[in-house]
Amino acid sequence: MAEVEETLKRIQSQKGVQGIIIVNSEGIPIKTTMDNSSTVQYVGLIHQLVMKARSTLRDLDPQNDLTFLRIRSKKNEIMIAPDKDYFLIVIQNPSD
Amino acid sequence: MGPLVFQRGCQTRALHSTDAEVQTVSTAVSSTQTEPQDHVTEQLLQHEEPEPPGLRDFLRQVEDRVIKELVKNARSHAFDGYQVNWEDQSQLVSCRHRLQHPSAQERSLHVTSVSWSCTGSVIACAYGRIDEGDWGTEKSHVCTWNLDRRGLNPKQPDLVIDVPTTVTALSFHPNQPSLIAGGLYTGEVVVWDTSHTQDPVMAQTGMSADSHREPVYQVDWVPLQKRGEFGVLSASSGGRVLLWTLDPDQGGFVLSAGYALVRQQVPHSSRSNYKARGSSHVGVTALALSPWDSDIFLVGSEGGLLLKCSFSSQTLAAAPSEGQSVTLRAPAVFSFRPRNSPIHSIHCSPFHRNLFLSVGTDGLAHLHSLLQTNPLLSVRVSDSYVFDVRWSPTRPLVFAAATGQGVVQIFDLGRRSLRPAATIDQGGANQAATCLAFNSQNPHLLAVGKTDGTVNIWHLSADLTEQSPRETVQLELMAREVVGLHV
Repeated sequence: MAEVEETLKRIQSQKGVQGIIIVNSEGIPIKTTMDNSSTVQYVGLIHQLVMKARSTLRDLDPQNDLTFLRIRSKKNEIMIAPDKDYFLIVIQNPSD
Repeated sequence: MGPLVFQRGCQTRALHSTDAEVQTVSTAVSSTQTEPQDHVTEQLLQHEEPEPPGLRDFLRQVEDRVIKELVKNARSHAFDGYQVNWEDQSQLVSCRHRLQHPSAQERSLHVTSVSWSCTGSVIACAYGRIDEGDWGTEKSHVCTWNLDRRGLNPKQPDLVIDVPTTVTALSFHPNQPSLIAGGLYTGEVVVWDTSHTQDPVMAQTGMSADSHREPVYQVDWVPLQKRGEFGVLSASSGGRVLLWTLDPDQGGFVLSAGYALVRQQVPHSSRSNYKARGSSHVGVTALALSPWDSDIFLVGSEGGLLLKCSFSSQTLAAAPSEGQSVTLRAPAVFSFRPRNSPIHSIHCSPFHRNLFLSVGTDGLAHLHSLLQTNPLLSVRVSDSYVFDVRWSPTRPLVFAAATGQGVVQIFDLGRRSLRPAATIDQGGANQAATCLAFNSQNPHLLAVGKTDGTVNIWHLSADLTEQSPRETVQLELMAREVVGLHV
Protein backbone atom coordinates (compact mmCIF):
# COMPACT_ATOMS: atom_id res chain seq x y z
CA MET A 1 0.00 0.00 0.00
CA ALA A 2 2.97 2.26 0.59
CA GLU A 3 3.81 2.22 -3.06
CA VAL A 4 0.25 3.26 -3.92
CA GLU A 5 0.43 6.14 -1.48
CA GLU A 6 3.79 7.24 -2.89
CA THR A 7 2.43 7.26 -6.41
CA LEU A 8 -0.54 9.34 -5.38
CA LYS A 9 1.74 11.79 -3.60
CA ARG A 10 3.86 12.18 -6.71
CA ILE A 11 0.81 12.95 -8.81
CA GLN A 12 -0.64 15.30 -6.21
CA SER A 13 2.57 17.31 -6.15
CA GLN A 14 2.29 18.26 -9.81
CA LYS A 15 1.38 21.88 -10.53
CA GLY A 16 -2.28 22.73 -10.11
CA VAL A 17 -3.57 19.29 -9.11
CA GLN A 18 -6.75 19.77 -7.13
CA GLY A 19 -7.83 16.20 -6.54
CA ILE A 20 -7.21 12.53 -7.38
CA ILE A 21 -9.72 9.68 -7.28
CA ILE A 22 -9.19 5.98 -8.04
CA VAL A 23 -12.36 4.14 -8.98
CA ASN A 24 -12.80 0.40 -9.46
CA SER A 25 -14.62 -1.28 -12.34
CA GLU A 26 -17.90 -1.19 -10.43
CA GLY A 27 -17.80 2.57 -10.02
CA ILE A 28 -16.85 2.55 -6.36
CA PRO A 29 -14.13 5.00 -5.30
CA ILE A 30 -11.33 3.20 -3.49
CA LYS A 31 -8.89 6.06 -2.96
CA THR A 32 -9.47 9.78 -2.94
CA THR A 33 -7.81 13.03 -1.89
CA MET A 34 -11.07 14.98 -1.88
CA ASP A 35 -13.97 15.15 0.58
CA ASN A 36 -16.59 12.42 0.48
CA SER A 37 -19.46 14.30 -1.06
CA SER A 38 -17.39 15.71 -3.94
CA THR A 39 -15.84 12.30 -4.55
CA VAL A 40 -19.20 10.59 -4.76
CA GLN A 41 -20.48 13.26 -7.12
CA TYR A 42 -17.49 13.07 -9.46
CA VAL A 43 -17.40 9.28 -9.54
CA GLY A 44 -21.07 8.81 -10.28
CA LEU A 45 -21.06 11.23 -13.18
CA ILE A 46 -17.65 10.46 -14.65
CA HIS A 47 -18.13 6.70 -14.69
CA GLN A 48 -21.11 7.09 -17.01
CA LEU A 49 -19.22 9.53 -19.19
CA VAL A 50 -16.25 7.19 -19.60
CA MET A 51 -18.50 4.29 -20.52
CA LYS A 52 -20.23 6.45 -23.09
CA ALA A 53 -16.95 7.69 -24.55
CA ARG A 54 -15.63 4.15 -24.82
CA SER A 55 -18.74 2.78 -26.48
CA THR A 56 -18.78 5.72 -28.92
CA LEU A 57 -15.24 4.92 -30.06
CA ARG A 58 -15.87 1.21 -30.35
CA ASP A 59 -19.07 1.79 -32.33
CA LEU A 60 -17.15 3.97 -34.74
CA ASP A 61 -14.41 1.40 -35.09
CA PRO A 62 -14.60 -1.93 -33.26
CA GLN A 63 -10.82 -2.30 -33.41
CA ASN A 64 -10.32 0.95 -31.56
CA ASP A 65 -10.52 1.60 -27.84
CA LEU A 66 -10.38 4.47 -25.36
CA THR A 67 -6.94 5.17 -23.91
CA PHE A 68 -7.28 8.56 -22.23
CA LEU A 69 -10.06 11.11 -21.70
CA ARG A 70 -9.59 14.81 -21.01
CA ILE A 71 -12.41 17.24 -20.33
CA ARG A 72 -11.39 20.85 -20.46
CA SER A 73 -13.71 23.40 -18.81
CA LYS A 74 -13.64 27.10 -18.05
CA LYS A 75 -12.31 26.52 -14.57
CA ASN A 76 -10.15 23.36 -14.76
CA GLU A 77 -9.37 20.12 -16.58
CA ILE A 78 -10.44 16.57 -15.66
CA MET A 79 -8.15 13.75 -16.87
CA ILE A 80 -9.19 10.13 -16.82
CA ALA A 81 -6.88 7.18 -17.41
CA PRO A 82 -9.11 4.11 -17.86
CA ASP A 83 -8.24 0.46 -17.58
CA LYS A 84 -9.98 -2.88 -17.30
CA ASP A 85 -10.15 -2.85 -13.51
CA TYR A 86 -9.66 0.76 -12.44
CA PHE A 87 -9.91 4.39 -13.50
CA LEU A 88 -7.63 7.16 -12.34
CA ILE A 89 -9.28 10.60 -12.24
CA VAL A 90 -7.13 13.70 -11.79
CA ILE A 91 -8.53 17.24 -11.57
CA GLN A 92 -6.07 19.97 -12.46
CA ASN A 93 -6.28 23.72 -12.72
CA PRO A 94 -3.34 24.42 -15.01
CA SER A 95 -3.28 28.15 -14.42
CA ASP A 96 -2.95 27.83 -10.65
CA MET B 1 -61.13 -71.59 0.75
CA GLY B 2 -60.20 -68.98 3.34
CA PRO B 3 -58.44 -65.60 2.62
CA LEU B 4 -54.70 -65.74 2.05
CA VAL B 5 -52.88 -64.76 5.10
CA PHE B 6 -49.26 -63.93 5.28
CA GLN B 7 -47.32 -63.37 8.31
CA ARG B 8 -44.05 -61.58 8.46
CA GLY B 9 -41.89 -60.57 11.28
CA CYS B 10 -38.51 -58.94 11.72
CA GLN B 11 -36.10 -58.56 14.45
CA THR B 12 -32.90 -56.64 14.86
CA ARG B 13 -29.82 -58.30 15.87
CA ALA B 14 -29.19 -58.05 19.57
CA LEU B 15 -28.20 -54.49 20.58
CA HIS B 16 -25.12 -54.18 22.68
CA SER B 17 -25.02 -51.42 25.24
CA THR B 18 -22.66 -50.50 27.97
CA ASP B 19 -22.43 -47.81 30.67
CA ALA B 20 -19.36 -45.84 31.49
CA GLU B 21 -18.58 -42.89 33.79
CA VAL B 22 -15.83 -40.30 33.73
CA GLN B 23 -14.49 -38.05 36.46
CA THR B 24 -11.70 -35.54 36.47
CA VAL B 25 -8.89 -36.51 38.70
CA SER B 26 -6.98 -33.23 38.69
CA THR B 27 -7.93 -29.62 37.64
CA ALA B 28 -5.95 -26.61 36.41
CA VAL B 29 -7.11 -23.02 35.78
CA SER B 30 -5.72 -20.92 32.98
CA SER B 31 -6.83 -17.70 31.22
CA THR B 32 -5.64 -15.41 28.45
CA GLN B 33 -5.75 -11.62 27.86
CA THR B 34 -4.54 -9.35 25.08
CA GLU B 35 -1.94 -6.71 25.87
CA PRO B 36 -2.14 -3.12 24.51
CA GLN B 37 -0.47 -3.22 21.14
CA ASP B 38 2.38 -0.94 20.18
CA HIS B 39 1.83 1.66 17.48
CA VAL B 40 4.52 0.08 15.41
CA THR B 41 2.93 -3.28 15.35
CA GLU B 42 -0.44 -1.72 14.48
CA GLN B 43 0.90 0.09 11.49
CA LEU B 44 2.54 -3.00 10.18
CA LEU B 45 -0.75 -4.77 10.38
CA GLN B 46 -2.42 -2.04 8.34
CA HIS B 47 0.18 -2.33 5.66
CA GLU B 48 -0.47 -5.97 5.37
CA GLU B 49 -4.15 -5.36 4.60
CA PRO B 50 -5.04 -7.02 1.34
CA GLU B 51 -4.92 -4.22 -1.20
CA PRO B 52 -7.25 -4.29 -4.14
CA PRO B 53 -5.77 -6.74 -6.61
CA GLY B 54 -3.96 -5.23 -9.52
CA LEU B 55 -4.03 -1.67 -8.12
CA ARG B 56 -0.29 -1.39 -7.88
CA ASP B 57 0.17 -2.64 -11.41
CA PHE B 58 -2.48 -0.32 -12.72
CA LEU B 59 -0.86 2.68 -11.09
CA ARG B 60 2.58 1.72 -12.30
CA GLN B 61 1.18 1.62 -15.77
CA VAL B 62 -0.63 4.93 -15.79
CA GLU B 63 1.53 7.03 -13.52
CA ASP B 64 4.09 8.10 -16.08
CA ARG B 65 1.58 8.93 -18.70
CA VAL B 66 -0.59 10.94 -16.34
CA ILE B 67 2.30 12.91 -14.94
CA LYS B 68 3.54 13.69 -18.42
CA GLU B 69 0.11 15.03 -19.36
CA LEU B 70 -0.16 17.07 -16.16
CA VAL B 71 3.20 18.70 -16.78
CA LYS B 72 2.44 19.39 -20.44
CA ASN B 73 -0.88 20.92 -19.43
CA ALA B 74 0.65 23.22 -16.88
CA ARG B 75 3.07 24.54 -19.48
CA SER B 76 0.69 24.68 -22.40
CA HIS B 77 -0.57 27.92 -23.87
CA ALA B 78 -2.89 26.14 -26.24
CA PHE B 79 -6.05 27.31 -24.56
CA ASP B 80 -4.98 30.77 -23.47
CA GLY B 81 -7.81 33.19 -24.07
CA TYR B 82 -9.87 30.47 -25.68
CA GLN B 83 -13.53 30.97 -24.98
CA VAL B 84 -16.57 29.03 -25.90
CA ASN B 85 -20.01 30.49 -26.29
CA TRP B 86 -22.64 28.14 -24.96
CA GLU B 87 -25.30 30.71 -24.50
CA ASP B 88 -26.70 33.28 -26.78
CA GLN B 89 -23.99 35.84 -26.31
CA SER B 90 -25.41 39.28 -26.54
CA GLN B 91 -22.72 41.88 -26.73
CA LEU B 92 -25.14 44.66 -26.10
CA VAL B 93 -26.86 46.01 -23.09
CA SER B 94 -30.51 46.37 -23.99
CA CYS B 95 -33.53 47.74 -22.26
CA ARG B 96 -36.05 44.98 -21.71
CA HIS B 97 -38.84 46.89 -20.04
CA ARG B 98 -39.72 50.42 -19.13
CA LEU B 99 -42.12 50.20 -16.23
CA GLN B 100 -44.32 53.09 -15.22
CA HIS B 101 -47.29 53.80 -13.03
CA PRO B 102 -49.36 56.50 -14.76
CA SER B 103 -50.81 57.92 -11.58
CA ALA B 104 -47.34 58.36 -10.06
CA GLN B 105 -46.07 59.90 -13.27
CA GLU B 106 -48.88 62.43 -13.37
CA ARG B 107 -47.90 63.59 -9.94
CA SER B 108 -44.19 63.66 -10.85
CA LEU B 109 -43.19 61.20 -8.19
CA HIS B 110 -39.65 59.85 -8.19
CA VAL B 111 -38.73 56.21 -7.82
CA THR B 112 -36.99 56.05 -4.47
CA SER B 113 -36.18 52.36 -4.16
CA VAL B 114 -36.36 49.11 -6.15
CA SER B 115 -36.20 45.54 -4.97
CA TRP B 116 -36.39 42.12 -6.63
CA SER B 117 -38.31 39.29 -4.99
CA CYS B 118 -36.41 36.20 -3.85
CA THR B 119 -37.72 34.24 -6.86
CA GLY B 120 -36.40 36.86 -9.25
CA SER B 121 -39.65 37.30 -11.13
CA VAL B 122 -41.21 40.25 -9.38
CA ILE B 123 -39.82 43.77 -9.23
CA ALA B 124 -41.21 46.19 -6.65
CA CYS B 125 -40.64 49.90 -6.65
CA ALA B 126 -41.41 52.64 -4.20
CA TYR B 127 -42.45 56.12 -5.17
CA GLY B 128 -42.14 59.39 -3.39
CA ARG B 129 -40.19 62.59 -3.33
CA ILE B 130 -37.54 63.62 -0.92
CA ASP B 131 -36.43 66.91 -2.33
CA GLU B 132 -37.39 70.32 -1.01
CA GLY B 133 -40.82 71.29 -0.06
CA ASP B 134 -43.65 69.54 1.60
CA TRP B 135 -43.39 66.51 -0.62
CA GLY B 136 -42.81 64.17 2.26
CA THR B 137 -46.46 64.29 3.17
CA GLU B 138 -47.61 63.54 -0.35
CA LYS B 139 -49.39 60.23 -0.83
CA SER B 140 -47.40 57.68 -2.76
CA HIS B 141 -47.37 54.07 -3.87
CA VAL B 142 -45.53 50.79 -3.89
CA CYS B 143 -45.99 48.96 -7.19
CA THR B 144 -45.03 45.48 -8.27
CA TRP B 145 -44.71 43.92 -11.69
CA ASN B 146 -44.27 40.21 -12.39
CA LEU B 147 -41.91 40.13 -15.35
CA ASP B 148 -42.40 36.43 -16.02
CA ARG B 149 -46.10 36.78 -16.49
CA ARG B 150 -47.49 36.71 -19.97
CA GLY B 151 -49.36 39.81 -20.89
CA LEU B 152 -47.11 42.02 -18.82
CA ASN B 153 -48.23 45.58 -19.26
CA PRO B 154 -45.37 47.92 -18.47
CA LYS B 155 -47.77 50.76 -17.88
CA GLN B 156 -49.90 48.86 -15.46
CA PRO B 157 -48.45 47.36 -12.31
CA ASP B 158 -49.78 44.01 -11.11
CA LEU B 159 -50.26 45.43 -7.67
CA VAL B 160 -50.48 49.00 -6.42
CA ILE B 161 -50.34 49.64 -2.70
CA ASP B 162 -51.35 53.15 -1.66
CA VAL B 163 -49.26 54.62 1.09
CA PRO B 164 -50.16 57.84 2.91
CA THR B 165 -46.66 59.25 2.73
CA THR B 166 -43.43 58.99 0.72
CA VAL B 167 -41.81 55.58 0.84
CA THR B 168 -38.09 56.02 1.30
CA ALA B 169 -36.85 52.43 1.49
CA LEU B 170 -37.96 49.03 0.24
CA SER B 171 -36.77 45.46 0.64
CA PHE B 172 -38.25 42.11 -0.35
CA HIS B 173 -38.07 39.24 2.15
CA PRO B 174 -35.16 36.87 1.35
CA ASN B 175 -37.30 33.70 1.48
CA GLN B 176 -40.98 34.59 1.33
CA PRO B 177 -41.83 36.04 -2.05
CA SER B 178 -44.91 37.91 -0.90
CA LEU B 179 -43.48 40.00 1.93
CA ILE B 180 -42.02 43.47 1.39
CA ALA B 181 -40.60 45.71 4.12
CA GLY B 182 -40.72 49.45 3.64
CA GLY B 183 -39.52 52.54 5.42
CA LEU B 184 -41.54 55.73 5.32
CA TYR B 185 -40.77 59.42 5.41
CA THR B 186 -42.64 59.68 8.72
CA GLY B 187 -40.25 57.24 10.36
CA GLU B 188 -42.60 54.29 10.28
CA VAL B 189 -41.57 50.80 9.23
CA VAL B 190 -44.17 48.68 7.43
CA VAL B 191 -44.36 45.13 6.12
CA TRP B 192 -46.77 44.46 3.29
CA ASP B 193 -48.02 41.02 2.34
CA THR B 194 -48.71 41.14 -1.39
CA SER B 195 -50.79 37.99 -1.28
CA HIS B 196 -53.50 39.86 0.64
CA THR B 197 -54.79 42.18 -2.01
CA GLN B 198 -57.56 43.61 0.15
CA ASP B 199 -55.43 44.77 3.01
CA PRO B 200 -51.79 44.25 2.31
CA VAL B 201 -50.45 45.86 5.48
CA MET B 202 -49.23 43.02 7.63
CA ALA B 203 -47.44 45.01 10.30
CA GLN B 204 -46.46 48.56 10.97
CA THR B 205 -44.64 50.32 13.74
CA GLY B 206 -47.02 53.19 14.01
CA MET B 207 -46.07 56.34 15.86
CA SER B 208 -45.04 54.95 19.20
CA ALA B 209 -42.23 55.86 21.57
CA ASP B 210 -40.24 53.05 19.99
CA SER B 211 -40.39 54.19 16.41
CA HIS B 212 -38.21 56.53 14.42
CA ARG B 213 -39.04 60.21 14.27
CA GLU B 214 -37.14 60.93 11.08
CA PRO B 215 -37.33 59.41 7.59
CA VAL B 216 -36.23 55.80 7.39
CA TYR B 217 -33.65 55.66 4.62
CA GLN B 218 -32.91 51.97 4.71
CA VAL B 219 -34.66 48.75 5.67
CA ASP B 220 -33.10 45.32 5.54
CA TRP B 221 -34.14 41.81 6.54
CA VAL B 222 -31.77 40.37 9.11
CA PRO B 223 -31.49 36.67 9.98
CA LEU B 224 -32.35 36.14 13.63
CA GLN B 225 -31.00 33.64 16.13
CA LYS B 226 -33.67 31.14 15.25
CA ARG B 227 -32.96 29.71 11.81
CA GLY B 228 -35.38 30.74 9.11
CA GLU B 229 -36.68 33.72 11.01
CA PHE B 230 -35.95 37.25 9.97
CA GLY B 231 -36.26 40.60 11.62
CA VAL B 232 -36.34 44.03 10.01
CA LEU B 233 -33.49 46.46 10.58
CA SER B 234 -34.36 50.10 9.95
CA ALA B 235 -32.10 53.14 9.91
CA SER B 236 -33.18 56.75 9.96
CA SER B 237 -31.65 60.17 9.72
CA GLY B 238 -32.50 60.62 13.39
CA GLY B 239 -29.44 58.54 14.17
CA ARG B 240 -31.30 55.43 15.22
CA VAL B 241 -30.84 51.91 13.92
CA LEU B 242 -33.64 49.65 15.19
CA LEU B 243 -34.15 45.92 14.95
CA TRP B 244 -37.79 44.83 14.82
CA THR B 245 -39.29 41.36 15.06
CA LEU B 246 -42.70 40.50 13.71
CA ASP B 247 -45.29 39.55 16.26
CA PRO B 248 -47.69 37.19 14.47
CA ASP B 249 -50.32 37.30 17.23
CA GLN B 250 -50.63 41.02 17.55
CA GLY B 251 -49.96 41.68 13.89
CA GLY B 252 -47.39 44.29 14.71
CA PHE B 253 -43.73 44.88 15.37
CA VAL B 254 -41.84 44.36 18.57
CA LEU B 255 -38.68 46.36 19.07
CA SER B 256 -36.05 43.78 19.79
CA ALA B 257 -32.89 45.92 19.88
CA GLY B 258 -32.08 49.57 19.40
CA TYR B 259 -28.89 51.38 18.54
CA ALA B 260 -28.29 55.11 18.68
CA LEU B 261 -25.40 56.80 16.94
CA VAL B 262 -24.20 59.81 18.80
CA ARG B 263 -21.33 62.05 17.69
CA GLN B 264 -19.41 61.76 20.95
CA GLN B 265 -19.44 57.98 20.81
CA VAL B 266 -18.05 57.69 17.32
CA PRO B 267 -14.58 56.11 17.52
CA HIS B 268 -12.00 58.52 16.18
CA SER B 269 -9.40 57.21 13.80
CA SER B 270 -6.04 58.81 14.42
CA ARG B 271 -5.91 60.69 11.16
CA SER B 272 -9.44 61.94 11.06
CA ASN B 273 -9.93 65.64 11.42
CA TYR B 274 -13.65 65.43 11.39
CA LYS B 275 -15.09 68.43 13.15
CA ALA B 276 -18.30 68.12 15.03
CA ARG B 277 -20.96 70.40 13.72
CA GLY B 278 -24.65 70.63 14.01
CA SER B 279 -26.66 68.33 16.20
CA SER B 280 -25.11 65.56 18.17
CA HIS B 281 -26.84 62.65 16.50
CA VAL B 282 -25.44 60.98 13.41
CA GLY B 283 -28.06 60.96 10.67
CA VAL B 284 -27.91 57.56 9.00
CA THR B 285 -28.38 57.63 5.23
CA ALA B 286 -26.88 54.28 4.28
CA LEU B 287 -26.84 50.85 5.88
CA ALA B 288 -25.30 47.57 4.81
CA LEU B 289 -25.30 44.11 6.33
CA SER B 290 -22.36 41.78 5.93
CA PRO B 291 -23.25 38.44 4.33
CA TRP B 292 -20.13 36.94 5.93
CA ASP B 293 -20.35 38.04 9.55
CA SER B 294 -23.77 38.29 11.10
CA ASP B 295 -22.54 40.53 13.88
CA ILE B 296 -21.30 43.34 11.65
CA PHE B 297 -23.24 46.09 9.95
CA LEU B 298 -21.96 49.22 8.23
CA VAL B 299 -23.44 52.67 8.53
CA GLY B 300 -22.98 55.80 6.42
CA SER B 301 -24.12 59.20 7.54
CA GLU B 302 -25.26 62.47 6.02
CA GLY B 303 -22.11 64.03 7.46
CA GLY B 304 -19.86 61.63 5.58
CA LEU B 305 -19.06 59.28 8.43
CA LEU B 306 -18.52 55.64 7.59
CA LEU B 307 -18.69 53.30 10.57
CA LYS B 308 -18.36 49.62 11.30
CA CYS B 309 -20.92 48.60 13.90
CA SER B 310 -21.59 45.52 15.92
CA PHE B 311 -24.96 44.06 16.85
CA SER B 312 -23.53 42.68 20.04
CA SER B 313 -22.08 45.94 21.33
CA GLN B 314 -22.87 46.42 24.99
CA THR B 315 -21.94 50.09 25.34
CA LEU B 316 -24.92 52.20 26.34
CA ALA B 317 -25.79 55.02 24.01
CA ALA B 318 -25.33 58.54 25.33
CA ALA B 319 -28.68 59.55 23.95
CA PRO B 320 -31.56 60.78 26.06
CA SER B 321 -34.11 58.09 26.66
CA GLU B 322 -37.41 58.79 24.97
CA GLY B 323 -39.35 56.06 26.68
CA GLN B 324 -38.30 53.25 24.40
CA SER B 325 -38.97 49.72 25.48
CA VAL B 326 -35.35 48.66 25.01
CA THR B 327 -32.15 50.34 26.13
CA LEU B 328 -30.34 51.97 23.26
CA ARG B 329 -26.77 50.91 22.67
CA ALA B 330 -23.90 52.54 20.88
CA PRO B 331 -22.93 50.15 18.09
CA ALA B 332 -19.96 51.86 16.41
CA VAL B 333 -16.68 49.98 16.86
CA PHE B 334 -14.50 51.33 14.05
CA SER B 335 -14.41 54.48 11.99
CA PHE B 336 -13.29 54.54 8.37
CA ARG B 337 -11.89 57.69 6.80
CA PRO B 338 -14.80 60.12 6.66
CA ARG B 339 -15.85 61.97 3.54
CA ASN B 340 -16.91 65.56 3.18
CA SER B 341 -20.38 64.85 1.97
CA PRO B 342 -23.29 62.50 2.61
CA ILE B 343 -22.85 58.80 1.94
CA HIS B 344 -25.78 57.45 -0.03
CA SER B 345 -25.07 53.78 -0.36
CA ILE B 346 -22.85 51.01 0.99
CA HIS B 347 -22.68 47.42 -0.27
CA CYS B 348 -20.61 44.50 1.02
CA SER B 349 -18.96 42.24 -1.54
CA PRO B 350 -20.68 38.86 -1.96
CA PHE B 351 -17.29 37.37 -2.89
CA HIS B 352 -14.89 38.64 -0.25
CA ARG B 353 -15.51 39.01 3.44
CA ASN B 354 -13.44 42.17 3.94
CA LEU B 355 -14.42 44.29 0.96
CA PHE B 356 -17.20 46.81 0.57
CA LEU B 357 -18.04 49.81 -1.59
CA SER B 358 -19.39 53.19 -0.58
CA VAL B 359 -20.65 56.08 -2.71
CA GLY B 360 -21.88 59.54 -1.95
CA THR B 361 -22.49 63.05 -3.11
CA ASP B 362 -18.83 63.61 -3.98
CA GLY B 363 -19.17 61.40 -7.07
CA LEU B 364 -16.57 58.88 -5.96
CA ALA B 365 -16.86 55.16 -5.25
CA HIS B 366 -14.49 53.98 -2.55
CA LEU B 367 -13.43 50.36 -2.26
CA HIS B 368 -12.74 49.70 1.41
CA SER B 369 -11.38 46.83 3.40
CA LEU B 370 -12.88 46.23 6.82
CA LEU B 371 -9.35 46.05 8.13
CA GLN B 372 -8.18 49.61 7.54
CA THR B 373 -9.41 53.20 7.72
CA ASN B 374 -8.28 54.39 4.32
CA PRO B 375 -9.97 53.13 1.18
CA LEU B 376 -8.06 50.67 -1.00
CA LEU B 377 -9.20 52.32 -4.17
CA SER B 378 -11.07 55.45 -5.20
CA VAL B 379 -12.94 55.46 -8.50
CA ARG B 380 -14.37 58.60 -10.10
CA VAL B 381 -17.87 57.53 -11.05
CA SER B 382 -19.45 60.83 -11.99
CA ASP B 383 -19.13 64.57 -11.73
CA SER B 384 -22.37 64.69 -9.86
CA TYR B 385 -23.97 62.74 -7.05
CA VAL B 386 -23.89 58.97 -6.90
CA PHE B 387 -27.01 57.61 -5.30
CA ASP B 388 -26.60 53.86 -5.23
CA VAL B 389 -23.94 51.21 -5.71
CA ARG B 390 -24.28 47.42 -5.99
CA TRP B 391 -21.76 44.65 -6.54
CA SER B 392 -22.58 42.22 -9.34
CA PRO B 393 -23.93 38.91 -7.98
CA THR B 394 -21.89 36.89 -10.50
CA ARG B 395 -18.70 38.79 -11.25
CA PRO B 396 -16.52 39.44 -8.21
CA LEU B 397 -14.80 42.45 -9.78
CA VAL B 398 -17.84 44.22 -11.24
CA PHE B 399 -20.10 46.83 -9.68
CA ALA B 400 -22.75 49.25 -10.92
CA ALA B 401 -23.38 52.80 -9.70
CA ALA B 402 -26.41 55.03 -10.25
CA THR B 403 -25.59 58.70 -10.82
CA GLY B 404 -27.38 62.01 -10.55
CA GLN B 405 -26.93 62.53 -14.27
CA GLY B 406 -29.27 59.63 -14.91
CA VAL B 407 -26.50 57.39 -16.13
CA VAL B 408 -25.57 53.98 -14.64
CA GLN B 409 -21.86 53.28 -14.79
CA ILE B 410 -20.61 49.71 -14.61
CA PHE B 411 -17.01 49.22 -13.55
CA ASP B 412 -14.78 46.18 -13.93
CA LEU B 413 -11.93 46.29 -11.42
CA GLY B 414 -10.07 43.65 -13.40
CA ARG B 415 -9.41 46.08 -16.18
CA ARG B 416 -6.26 48.14 -16.01
CA SER B 417 -8.02 51.39 -16.75
CA LEU B 418 -10.53 52.78 -14.27
CA ARG B 419 -12.90 53.98 -16.91
CA PRO B 420 -16.30 52.35 -16.85
CA ALA B 421 -16.69 49.01 -18.61
CA ALA B 422 -20.18 50.01 -19.67
CA THR B 423 -22.41 53.05 -19.45
CA ILE B 424 -26.16 52.77 -19.45
CA ASP B 425 -27.71 56.01 -20.57
CA GLN B 426 -31.41 56.10 -21.09
CA GLY B 427 -31.27 59.71 -22.16
CA GLY B 428 -33.36 62.40 -20.53
CA ALA B 429 -30.79 64.50 -18.72
CA ASN B 430 -31.85 66.09 -15.46
CA GLN B 431 -33.41 62.83 -14.51
CA ALA B 432 -31.27 61.23 -11.83
CA ALA B 433 -30.94 57.47 -11.43
CA THR B 434 -31.74 57.03 -7.77
CA CYS B 435 -31.56 53.31 -7.12
CA LEU B 436 -30.57 50.07 -8.73
CA ALA B 437 -30.82 46.37 -8.03
CA PHE B 438 -29.32 43.27 -9.63
CA ASN B 439 -31.57 40.23 -9.98
CA SER B 440 -29.71 37.44 -8.21
CA GLN B 441 -31.85 34.68 -9.75
CA ASN B 442 -31.35 36.00 -13.23
CA PRO B 443 -28.07 37.89 -13.09
CA HIS B 444 -28.43 39.39 -16.56
CA LEU B 445 -31.13 41.72 -15.32
CA LEU B 446 -30.51 45.07 -13.66
CA ALA B 447 -33.36 47.31 -12.49
CA VAL B 448 -32.78 51.07 -12.38
CA GLY B 449 -35.21 53.59 -10.90
CA LYS B 450 -35.17 57.22 -11.93
CA THR B 451 -36.60 60.53 -10.87
CA ASP B 452 -38.86 60.59 -13.91
CA GLY B 453 -40.87 57.83 -12.29
CA THR B 454 -39.72 55.00 -14.53
CA VAL B 455 -38.10 51.71 -13.64
CA ASN B 456 -35.98 50.40 -16.48
CA ILE B 457 -35.06 46.72 -16.63
CA TRP B 458 -31.78 46.29 -18.47
CA HIS B 459 -30.43 43.06 -19.91
CA LEU B 460 -26.65 43.05 -19.50
CA SER B 461 -24.23 41.65 -22.03
CA ALA B 462 -22.46 38.37 -21.40
CA ASP B 463 -19.09 39.89 -20.65
CA LEU B 464 -20.59 41.85 -17.78
CA THR B 465 -22.19 38.82 -16.18
CA GLU B 466 -20.02 35.80 -16.86
CA GLN B 467 -17.30 35.15 -14.37
CA SER B 468 -13.86 34.66 -15.81
CA PRO B 469 -11.58 32.02 -14.27
CA ARG B 470 -9.22 34.21 -12.30
CA GLU B 471 -11.56 36.80 -10.87
CA THR B 472 -11.84 35.51 -7.35
CA VAL B 473 -8.05 35.35 -7.14
CA GLN B 474 -7.69 38.92 -8.42
CA LEU B 475 -10.20 40.13 -5.86
CA GLU B 476 -8.30 38.38 -3.11
CA LEU B 477 -5.08 40.07 -4.21
CA MET B 478 -6.81 43.44 -4.16
CA ALA B 479 -8.09 42.83 -0.67
CA ARG B 480 -4.60 41.95 0.52
CA GLU B 481 -3.23 45.36 -0.42
CA VAL B 482 -4.10 46.52 3.06
CA VAL B 483 -1.25 48.53 4.49
CA GLY B 484 0.81 46.46 6.84
CA LEU B 485 -0.63 43.13 5.79
CA HIS B 486 2.02 41.04 4.12
CA VAL B 487 0.92 38.70 1.39
